[in-house]
Amino acid sequence: MPRQSRGRLWALIAAPSLWLVLFLVLPLLLLAAYSFRAGVGGALFRDWTPTLEQYRILFATPAFLRLLVMSAGIALVVAVLATLLAYPVAYYLVFRIRERAGVYIVLLMIPFWISYLLRVMAWKVILGEGGAVNSLLLSLGLIHEPISALFYSRLAVIVTLVYVWTPFVALPIIATLYRIDRALLEAASSLGATPRQRFWRVTLPLSLPGVIAGAVMVFIPTVGEYVTPSLVGGSSGAMYGNIIFDFFGRSANWPLGAALAVVMLLLTLALVGATSRISRVERFIG
Amino acid sequence: MIASFRRLAPLSLLVLLAVLAVACAKEKRPAATPLSPDATGTLTVLDWAGYEDTSMFVTFHRAYPKVTVSVAFGESDADIFGKMKAGTDACVFHPYSGWQHFYVRDGLVAELDTTRLSHWSEIPARFKALGQVDGKQYFIPWDWGYTSILYRTDKIPGGVDSWTALFDPKYKGHISMWDDGPGAVAIATYVKNWDETKLSDAQLAEIERMWTSQRPLNRFYWTGEPELVQGMASGEIWLAYAWQGAYNTLLGQHVPVAYAQPKEGRNSWVGLYGISSKCQTPDLAYGFLDEKLTAAQGVSLISSFAYGHVNPAAYQGVTDSNIVRALSLNDPTVLERTKFTPLVTEADRDHFGQLWARVKAAQ
Repeated sequence: MPRQSRGRLWALIAAPSLWLVLFLVLPLLLLAAYSFRAGVGGALFRDWTPTLEQYRILFATPAFLRLLVMSAGIALVVAVLATLLAYPVAYYLVFRIRERAGVYIVLLMIPFWISYLLRVMAWKVILGEGGAVNSLLLSLGLIHEPISALFYSRLAVIVTLVYVWTPFVALPIIATLYRIDRALLEAASSLGATPRQRFWRVTLPLSLPGVIAGAVMVFIPTVGEYVTPSLVGGSSGAMYGNIIFDFFGRSANWPLGAALAVVMLLLTLALVGATSRISRVERFIG
Repeated sequence: MIASFRRLAPLSLLVLLAVLAVACAKEKRPAATPLSPDATGTLTVLDWAGYEDTSMFVTFHRAYPKVTVSVAFGESDADIFGKMKAGTDACVFHPYSGWQHFYVRDGLVAELDTTRLSHWSEIPARFKALGQVDGKQYFIPWDWGYTSILYRTDKIPGGVDSWTALFDPKYKGHISMWDDGPGAVAIATYVKNWDETKLSDAQLAEIERMWTSQRPLNRFYWTGEPELVQGMASGEIWLAYAWQGAYNTLLGQHVPVAYAQPKEGRNSWVGLYGISSKCQTPDLAYGFLDEKLTAAQGVSLISSFAYGHVNPAAYQGVTDSNIVRALSLNDPTVLERTKFTPLVTEADRDHFGQLWARVKAAQ
């Protein structure tokens, strides 16, 4: 690379890199440093010797670890369901609507013009004890008492998160579907592939990078989700993120909260790393 | 990273010392002159959402119209403590009972010169003591209230007279507990008649078991009063751990509710105002605290928000019968039967927080 263009490259990446270092890397390092403190007392950066006490507490508390696994499981279920729902939408927009798809993509995004809080609370109107679903079932005589488990439960958390994420997942899938060379599909047809074979053997494998990108995009933030479970999860719907939030915001035990966050971050990185490795293999086979 | 902080440490120490020196120099000003009505400037107060309302400092506003009160927000005691620790320009801050000694320990609060508070003598000694740490006055007490069981009288016609109702399977799916570890531990100790400041590991384990087995009965743990009020008004929640503000709001909405007088006693909390050790405008801060203590300010607080005020002279000015009932102002003995939140050690607070996290995390 000529020296001049290399200089320009550095100039271009300097601002975003600085941004990342200041607002991502440094805070993460601070978080990691906090996880080795004994308590929140004392000066922020002085008077302390690193300790593994917080990690000891974390690994000696099976309830926290089980909740972490449970939260990863919920995130996986949400990612899979949101992707399954988003794929037909994306497919329809790209292969059926085609030119006017832009309008429909805007329609898909319209829910995001409304506050997240309002969209989540709308589920209370639908699933709550006096909500739409219970009222309908009651008036049809199918039930005699409202089903309380519809809301303030893990089920409500999963339903709400799937609803929130589905349009997001559609975007990367739409992008990869657009990129598929139509000549490949025509070639498959002229070689005698049925539409079904064409989808399973050509379209789906070629769109997998978008599918995996979308699913990972949902999975990562959902593992640490805390707003949705605190709004619709009730007493039994807490996720790992709620516990982290409680240690920071409610009991001023930043070190333990930081240790919980670091462990979650490492688990998420490991899972995403594994997924990206698998997806590369998939692409190779496809 | 840590190494570079070590290098920075002497520098930050110097800055801190300089700031402290300036602050001390100002505090050593000899005469406690009352604030002039023409005083100007900005006083930053770190407070809770809702406390930015002018009725919360109405007499200060009237007495010193040229002073701007700028309110910064904290969303919980832990949050306010965190912000004070991380550094804020707030001169005055508002923690609740149970947290005062942490501010003293970390040098975040200045000891008060009560001679600069002209209304100090109007405050009962029992309240004053709540703002002291190791015999020194660091905070003024200000707002107070109860914690008790709030219940729907139409759903529970027999009434509720004990904290054990929160654990009663009869009310499965219609109970709401506050989302708070120390609060949960306190209630369990009332039920068991234990001293909440001296709990053994076995007792803590029993408390954890109580709340874990209570969880399936509980509809949701409420975090903000509006969430609780909505749940009670809709009839989804029949009984809950609640403050009298929610009781007053529901009475105002004509929801049939009553505020229990549990045989184990009500819990009570007191809000405190302290002056930051780094405060650059102590005159404004003292003027603010002094006006907070007046009976006129007390009437405004009680009438607008149904919170108690530490100046008993204010109670005669309250005419709203809902509020008199909510605060039990007509019952002279109720404060004697009330348990104020005690000081807990940091270790205890961490234990209570972890206990509650385990209750919520249990599968």
